[in-house]
Amino acid sequence: MLSSHNPLLTTAPPAPPASIPLPAPMPPKMKRFGPDEEVDCLVIGTGAGGAPLLARLAQAGLKVLALEAGPWYHPEKDFATDEHAQNFLFWNDERLSAGRDPLAFGKNNSGTGVGGSTLHYTAYTPRAQPDDLRLFADHGQGVDWPLEHADLEPYYDELEHFLGISGPASYPWGPARKRSYPLAPLPLNGAAQLMERACAKLGIRTSPAANAALSARYYQEGVGWRAACTNRGFCQAGCSTGAKASMDVTFIPLAVHHGAEIRPDSFVTEIERDAQGRVTSVVYTQNGEQKRQRCRHLFLCAGAIETPRLLLLNNLALSSGQVGRNLMAHTGLQIWGTFDEEVRPNKGIPGALISEDTHRPKDADFVGGYLLQSIGVMPVTFAGEVVRQRGLWGQALRDYMRDYNHVAGINILGECLPHADNYLELSTENDARGLPKPRTYFTNQANEIRLTAHADKLMRRIWAAVGAHDIWAFPRSAHVIGTARMGRSSQDSVVNADGRAHDVPNLYIADNSTFPSALSVNPALTIMALSLRTADRFLAGQQRRDA
Amino acid sequence: MTDPTAAIQALLATDHVSEATRAVLTARLTPAPPYQPRYLTPPAYAQLLAVANRLFPQPERESPIPLAPALDQRLAENCGDGWRYDVLPSDGEALRQGLAGIDECAQAQHQRTFLTLTAAEQDAVLRAVQAGRPAGATWQTLSAARFFEDLLAELTELYYCHPRAQAEIGYVGFADRPDWTKIGLGEREDRESIMDEWMSK
Repeated sequence: MLSSHNPLLTTAPPAPPASIPLPAPMPPKMKRFGPDEEVDCLVIGTGAGGAPLLARLAQAGLKVLALEAGPWYHPEKDFATDEHAQNFLFWNDERLSAGRDPLAFGKNNSGTGVGGSTLHYTAYTPRAQPDDLRLFADHGQGVDWPLEHADLEPYYDELEHFLGISGPASYPWGPARKRSYPLAPLPLNGAAQLMERACAKLGIRTSPAANAALSARYYQEGVGWRAACTNRGFCQAGCSTGAKASMDVTFIPLAVHHGAEIRPDSFVTEIERDAQGRVTSVVYTQNGEQKRQRCRHLFLCAGAIETPRLLLLNNLALSSGQVGRNLMAHTGLQIWGTFDEEVRPNKGIPGALISEDTHRPKDADFVGGYLLQSIGVMPVTFAGEVVRQRGLWGQALRDYMRDYNHVAGINILGECLPHADNYLELSTENDARGLPKPRTYFTNQANEIRLTAHADKLMRRIWAAVGAHDIWAFPRSAHVIGTARMGRSSQDSVVNADGRAHDVPNLYIADNSTFPSALSVNPALTIMALSLRTADRFLAGQQRRDA
Repeated sequence: MTDPTAAIQALLATDHVSEATRAVLTARLTPAPPYQPRYLTPPAYAQLLAVANRLFPQPERESPIPLAPALDQRLAENCGDGWRYDVLPSDGEALRQGLAGIDECAQAQHQRTFLTLTAAEQDAVLRAVQAGRPAGATWQTLSAARFFEDLLAELTELYYCHPRAQAEIGYVGFADRPDWTKIGLGEREDRESIMDEWMSK
């Protein structure tokens, strides 16, 4: 097999080793700042929001440090091919879920450990399309972004080549691309083959999906070689080989290579300010000990629950009244069916096939749209959905589950509009740390309900076209978004298009909380793009000041 | 059905299973000593055992897959799964109240405690709780449907994470080495047939 490498590199990569070493935890040569040393940039969180900008700022020669609430794992030693044993990857501090469609957290949303929720993300990496960013301009509903697709496009391109995205030579949807995906697509599993066959019959275009797991070994400077995906299918329970581009095997080693320090097991509780309101330091707990870290600039990248929670706890950046508001969650309806053929749905990346023909359906009675993905599934996750939705138990459950090897699914990732009834607040119930637990309110509104009904009908047609029987729907919400949104005005947003807080000049936010709208695609690639953009805008601002 | 334990152990001993996975599954397969409840009172724990026995009846197994111990242990250690329905009290409180409420419903339906009912009668009580309309004062404040859903979901994870239950559904994904190359429709790696062969012996 030919080795692939990052085409951005000017020098040829070194020859790949005979066997590529599996990712190791905390590098021994990592920079350590002294306890009283002030860093230029302090980053809270090491997921898709924190890790890319951490690397970028370190590459610019700044003193940068990241605090991560969870441990630094050793994937090969710590990650079993077992869903139950892997529950430690999830953010398991309790959140209270209210509203008519209460959001599931834990394994459904947000993670802990160096790498954040990318440790268990499925690594779907479609780009947002230009019209995703201007829902209001196009439809008079929803919210426009304060930036254009052209602002994100160079970062999408850079990320696809840095992470080593596997994808089709020519992607059927969205604007023309500068370059193809750097690696060939990952193989189609049973669910993907069924969906491909069905959609061909119905005239729906499909394509192998873009995914941040490597279809061939890949090299990056500052990171080294990463091995190809083994098609183990446990992306959502932690990749044990480093094939999936979680942050711990990509941007984190790059950041450390350029002099960044990562402090794991560090849970931030306080953000301290001077008389002018500038952030001066944060207080965190590491191994039961309370510590303080001084900084010149703070980058809050803790995700759409912990970011607004920290702001609310610290009475920080609240003047717009928007912190915690506009909570959105993608509608992620799944349709399952049973097939005569053997699917064995645990194998391969779960979502190997995609269609964006439903991005803006012609017969839509709703604003925005959705994408379609085939889905495989691990057995415990599947059984949990079966009992929560179908209510089966006893012999009926055991009988149904005996067909596990014959089930396949399709799901959507659909737009969600911000609504006044959907928000996050601090409850009056404290957690084990003595901090108020967050409470979210979420109810699907008319637009989400109409969009989901459209998708329900279509996906049932798709599965019926290839002979599925016992078809059933699992309604769900995925990805929490929008609790500290960006915008042009400090009246109705928390940060500007660069991610800088309107209220606090040296505070930046880079994660899914800044999205003004949900987008009809998986958010990870866009979170990373915004993270790199925030770093570049910050660095450009520093240069202007130095000039 | 023959007990698949020996077949699973044989597979776990091969190079088809990574060390991390082997450690987890070997521990789970090893029979645990009798469990003394640490969170629930003995009567409440007996009630949980009875409920679990109806949600996952395992009449064909000499030693059923244990479900109640891990749940009681989780509550004793105050661990959670990251969220709960706002309409429910804490996980432990919900379980305590719900188990008592199941008895209230049994009394209303059959004038007897849940433990003394026949299997069919117990199932009728559990169906009433699941449907969200059980009799009993507890259910005036505790959401019966949400309580039942959460309890069932947790027991389901504990059941289907066990290799013996996974063998029952033909899942061999824990044999995670080497790379999977036959992942399309109707395709099987040799190791995916190993279990079938062992089971049919």
